[in-house]
Amino acid sequence: MTEGNSVLAKAREIKIIGFLCNWCSYGGADTAGVCRFKQPTDLRIVRIPCTGRMDPLFAAKSLIYGIDGVLVSGCHPKDCHYAVGNLYARRRLEVLKHFLPFMGIDGRRFHYTWVSASEGQLWQKTVTEFSDRIHRLGPNPGLSRT
Amino acid sequence: MFEAETKRLHELVKAVLPELDGIVGWEQGFDALHATPVFVSREEDVHRLMWSPLCVHNLSGYLVKTPPFLPREEGRKVGICVKGCDSRSLVALEQEKFISREKLYIFGLPCEGTVDWRRVMKKIPLRGVSAVRREGTDLKVEDARGVHSLPWEESLARRCLRCAHPNPLVSDVLVRDPVEPRMKKEDVYGLVGELEQQSLEERLAFWSAQLDRCIRCYACRNACPLCVCQDRCIVETRDPKWLTQKMGTSEKFMFHMIHSVHLAGRCTECGECERVCPMEIPVTLMKEKLNQVTRELLDYEAGIDPEAVPPLLTFNPDEHQM
Repeated sequence: MTEGNSVLAKAREIKIIGFLCNWCSYGGADTAGVCRFKQPTDLRIVRIPCTGRMDPLFAAKSLIYGIDGVLVSGCHPKDCHYAVGNLYARRRLEVLKHFLPFMGIDGRRFHYTWVSASEGQLWQKTVTEFSDRIHRLGPNPGLSRT
Repeated sequence: MFEAETKRLHELVKAVLPELDGIVGWEQGFDALHATPVFVSREEDVHRLMWSPLCVHNLSGYLVKTPPFLPREEGRKVGICVKGCDSRSLVALEQEKFISREKLYIFGLPCEGTVDWRRVMKKIPLRGVSAVRREGTDLKVEDARGVHSLPWEESLARRCLRCAHPNPLVSDVLVRDPVEPRMKKEDVYGLVGELEQQSLEERLAFWSAQLDRCIRCYACRNACPLCVCQDRCIVETRDPKWLTQKMGTSEKFMFHMIHSVHLAGRCTECGECERVCPMEIPVTLMKEKLNQVTRELLDYEAGIDPEAVPPLLTFNPDEHQM
């Protein structure tokens, strides 16, 4: 059963979830907004205390349940507010990135990167590029179609 | 089958039993094709213990799952029988401080492969198996209708056909001489490679079809010696709520994703999850891929070095390849 059956499935808009660390990338996104940089509107931001809080399963679950793209961003390595959170995250997210394609989920739909609070311009570039990539890939086929 | 090894095991157990608070091993199951785990603490029960390729279970889970099988007093030990693959689970549990080596007396059993009774039953539908033995390169099974023969290699479990560690890595005593590994550890990910030849869509279709058969009995999780969260497993907790009781492939897919990702860099590939799966889903395959990834990215093989730290529980500030 589909909810809201007056809307055609193919007309649904692209949904991207961004998991941003509170101390750097969330601030970076804020900087980009304050500077009035133009940004794509597909991104829904979830603020997390640190990328070390980022369970790789957050990304896996989003993609399995039909989100089109997952972007994770945090402080640059060695600049973590909690000293080492993003170093744990880096390993976990890299392993997940290699594992997703094996399960039939496009690894290009998952991206992790580092953006600091002052890098509004870099944030704009990152999010624009990722959003363009997801638009090119189209909607996530998910599990229902197969 | 393997009477000499069983007899040797009895001798070794009898020699140390007074110092132990019991020993976990295998005994004859409900028919000749099945073994079952057994706990022995009295000398008159030692004869129940056996060793043969039918001893399929990884017993190391008993040391950590409720109620844990551990010595009752400080300074005492418990005995455990392990094959090569099971010994890796012990090492992994020791790394994570779930067990300590000095509380264990380990009977190591170099193993030439275990028999997958389901594979046997598929080839020869059996009724009331009365005897099983190995004759040269054949497995002979005797049931109500006579003696059946099957090539030995065709009766082995998938995990055994890709075994690179047949000899226990930790043990206090070996029951028989070490055996030659069947495979080099570089070659064990053959099936992973085969699946990767397929396109992304084919792989999604493969896993959707396989995992859709899952009945979420959680046998794979319960049998896994490294699934140690017990009643805090996020698959069943309502807070945090990761999964619901909804039907559908997504929930099943997510369950297996949770199981696999939680074992990334920890799984010792004992193959218990796949063995116990009533739906015969190749669940170990997901963990094999994750192990291949951790080996390539982080140069780590689980359950080998008791001093090592599993790679996802630590970090290295200077790794730039990521």
